[in-house]
Amino acid sequence: METEIINKQAHKRTGLIILIILIVAFLIYYSVMSLLSPGRSLERITNEYAIKQDEKTKIDEKVFSDSTYLAKLKEKAFLQSKIALAESDSIYLTINLADSTANLEIYGVVVHSAKIKDLKMSNILKKGNDYVISSFLSSPFTISSSIATIKKDPLMIKMAPKDTSEYKPDIMPDTSITEPVNYRLEMTDGTRIYIYQQENEKSSDRMNLFRFDIRDRLHESWNSLKSVAVFKIPEYHLFIKIRIPRADAKIIYRALPKNGQIGIYR
Amino acid sequence: MEDNVLNNGQLSESEKAPDEKQTGKKDDKSQLIDSSLPNLQSKEKLLHILHIILFIFIPVLVVLFMITFVLYFVPVLQEIKSGPKTEISNDPLLKKDAGYNKQIGVLVKDIQRLKRKYNTYSTGLSYIVINTTDNKFFLYKNKKLIREGSCSTGSYKKLLTAEGRSWTFKTPRGKFTIQGKRTNPAWHKPDWAFIEEGVPVPPKDSPLRWEAGVLGDYAMDLGDSYMIHGTIYKRFLGMPVTHGCVRLNDEDLEVVFNTLNIGSKVYIY
Repeated sequence: METEIINKQAHKRTGLIILIILIVAFLIYYSVMSLLSPGRSLERITNEYAIKQDEKTKIDEKVFSDSTYLAKLKEKAFLQSKIALAESDSIYLTINLADSTANLEIYGVVVHSAKIKDLKMSNILKKGNDYVISSFLSSPFTISSSIATIKKDPLMIKMAPKDTSEYKPDIMPDTSITEPVNYRLEMTDGTRIYIYQQENEKSSDRMNLFRFDIRDRLHESWNSLKSVAVFKIPEYHLFIKIRIPRADAKIIYRALPKNGQIGIYR
Repeated sequence: MEDNVLNNGQLSESEKAPDEKQTGKKDDKSQLIDSSLPNLQSKEKLLHILHIILFIFIPVLVVLFMITFVLYFVPVLQEIKSGPKTEISNDPLLKKDAGYNKQIGVLVKDIQRLKRKYNTYSTGLSYIVINTTDNKFFLYKNKKLIREGSCSTGSYKKLLTAEGRSWTFKTPRGKFTIQGKRTNPAWHKPDWAFIEEGVPVPPKDSPLRWEAGVLGDYAMDLGDSYMIHGTIYKRFLGMPVTHGCVRLNDEDLEVVFNTLNIGSKVYIY
């Protein structure tokens, strides 16, 4: 009887140890695969946008790390991007990370400007090779999808009355409701721009942001897990996260077309 | 175990006669064990409960740890590595190099050309900007803001009929131009204006379709039947209540009408 109990306990212990080993092994495997993904993303960008020199007109490599040259290159890249956007004849967003502004523009005219309060971005964008990143940002980004805590078009359905007896005049809309505004804009190349409302004093605002963030993380991790399960390196998304006033965040989200464009200056 | 039990104040038996002690010793022991049994059982129960709690809590904690690790720790780890950073230099010798100066010259020329091109988009003429989210307008002349105020734009209502017809009352966004200017405009009511009130729709050329005085003193056409005009519902200014047109109060409308010309740009966002 006693030996049976001891055996059972030993089995349990062995099982527990195996489970712990399996969990740790999985977490290590998942971490390693996830750590490889930014590198692959960087490699893709570098291959596409790195300096390609012509043997005949080869320029001294030092030029590409000179501060004046890089500043001019960034300015040119942003202008190129803005012109491409202006010619699209639509509403677009320009994010100037250098002077912390997010501007809504239509055909080259700034129609709305918002001050960026807080900024976070991928280390690749922040610390990556200046020439490569400037070239990468020289073309506008196109939105492919978005997730938001507010509706893009807050449509209300109204059934037409059959006759005058059924007719009810419209009531004054309630404009005092302030819903939390947080959203993610995903670009066609996988880059993600997160726009969060700056106001965070109310617990409902913080809760809304937490729910939005956890949903995004769960979605991202689920995709990574699916890739890792088939021994594939998960996809890494470059990101820019900004905080702006709620009213501005709402205006920008509602104004941008579904497949609108965004220009970024770093 | 026995000693413990004996030490727990059960030693009064030692005062009994030795013969009695001999025979009663075994009974005493079993009695003592019996009396301590509930104690042991309760300890066992406690251990069992503890086991169950641990059995539930440990997996929960493990799962929570895994979720936190995957959701929060891994993304932090991903941001540690970023690849080689550019060593930004400011070498004075390089600035004297002809090749370098040629490169800078090319860049400066490109920037000037692009700036010139970009500046052609922003007009020096008068234009109006309309914010449909906050229901505000901004009037510009020579790139300077000369007036701003409240307006009313599309209500975002979708009117549906039993026959399957539908209209969405929203102000279109983008760049528009003033296509026509009218004073004392009369409104040619479209079908939805009747359907919305449950009134039979008159024929297209019916005089019932014309209504005077509801559009204010002026109207500026934007195309597709959209207009900037006045309103009799002034208490609704600053709210999304229109069928797609932009409504202004009388004073603002007059200034806008006098500032904008046919061809002036209207930017709606």
